[in-house]
Amino acid sequence: MRNDADSDNEISDEALLSGIAVRDDQAVLIFVRRYQRRLFGLALGILGDPGLAEDVTQEAFIRILRHASVFDARRGSVTSWTLTITRNLAIDSMRLRRSIPTAPEDRVFMNLMSNDRSQDDAAVMSDIVARARAALATLPIEQRRAVVLATMYGRTIAEVAAEEGIPLGTAKGRVRLGMAKLRDLVAVTETS
Amino acid sequence: MSDRTHDSVNCEAISGSVHEFALGTISGRDRSLVLEHLETCPHCRAELDSLAAVTDALLLLAPEIEPPLGFESRLVERFLKDEPEPVPARSHRGIWLAAAALLVAVVGFGVGTVTTHGSNPTHYDASRPLTARLTSSGVVLGQVIVTPGKPSWMSMTVDDGNWSGVAWCQVTLRSGRVETVGRFTLLHGYGAWTAPLKAAGNQVRTAQLVSVDGKVIASAILRT
Repeated sequence: MRNDADSDNEISDEALLSGIAVRDDQAVLIFVRRYQRRLFGLALGILGDPGLAEDVTQEAFIRILRHASVFDARRGSVTSWTLTITRNLAIDSMRLRRSIPTAPEDRVFMNLMSNDRSQDDAAVMSDIVARARAALATLPIEQRRAVVLATMYGRTIAEVAAEEGIPLGTAKGRVRLGMAKLRDLVAVTETS
Repeated sequence: MSDRTHDSVNCEAISGSVHEFALGTISGRDRSLVLEHLETCPHCRAELDSLAAVTDALLLLAPEIEPPLGFESRLVERFLKDEPEPVPARSHRGIWLAAAALLVAVVGFGVGTVTTHGSNPTHYDASRPLTARLTSSGVVLGQVIVTPGKPSWMSMTVDDGNWSGVAWCQVTLRSGRVETVGRFTLLHGYGAWTAPLKAAGNQVRTAQLVSVDGKVIASAILRT
């Protein structure tokens, strides 16, 4: 027997954004329920403060909902769009609180640095998440740290160098090499 | 002479900056240089797209965590309450809408009490930031926030949804003098920046977003 949740899950992200653009309250609710855990998880991972993470997640949603009509699917997925907005707002918020970011020690960072795959719940991991996780695990730990600091935590190359205690050129090299390897791996898995 | 679509030497020189651009960590002059190069180089645009895809994939690795109780109702209530009136879309740029006032919210000021709405003027309180909508031909493009202090700061958020490029931010003071705040870039229609003002915040009459050829893209009137 099908229930409302089943039918809600069948509505595409793009269809929900179209509904939101014409002020369909039900579309707003379904969209928020679909994305609130993912956006809050990202904000909390970056900020480490539940109250601040909620503020940032709320702002991200307001921005997303108000801009639903200008989303362009040719530029990427709704998921990427929402996560990027949340990440950028979280980084802005973090920089307002402290001009010099401190090294992240949260569970997200530690998990991404770990090679222990038993932490991954394969049943709930989507294919693309699993592939991204696997690709990241192939990087040497130094490159992995540099790439995660830069991508997820918004560190500049100079900040990566300072946090890792390495020369600027070394930090730049680690980020570039790491990103290049990940790009090649993502490209291979997408085409295979 | 061959008709090259891009300059390989220039591409090599700018490659590192393209990485930083994709990460969103590039700033200032380097960003402008990359944007100018990308406009004429499909090779580097493709490189940027592939690197941006990597960043997108990594963001998916953040865990899903249940937000605090009441999150959903607070959000929906706020969205429905604050939703701006619909505005006509521009034929070539789509709809421009207001961006969030995050910068003010996180420093603990009451945005709702000082935001300018329609024809209701807002009295300037030196202890509070002043916000105004950034508009063009009646269409809301974003928001300007002036935070008083020594120095005063100005933040601007813009969301075009389409346009990428370099723009100048200027303010016109009550004396009529025009002060340039900085040179900024919009990527895929989004831009947000914060910069100190040389003048006192309560001396700012208008703020303008100006294209590199001097055309005013949008402006905001700060009522004090």
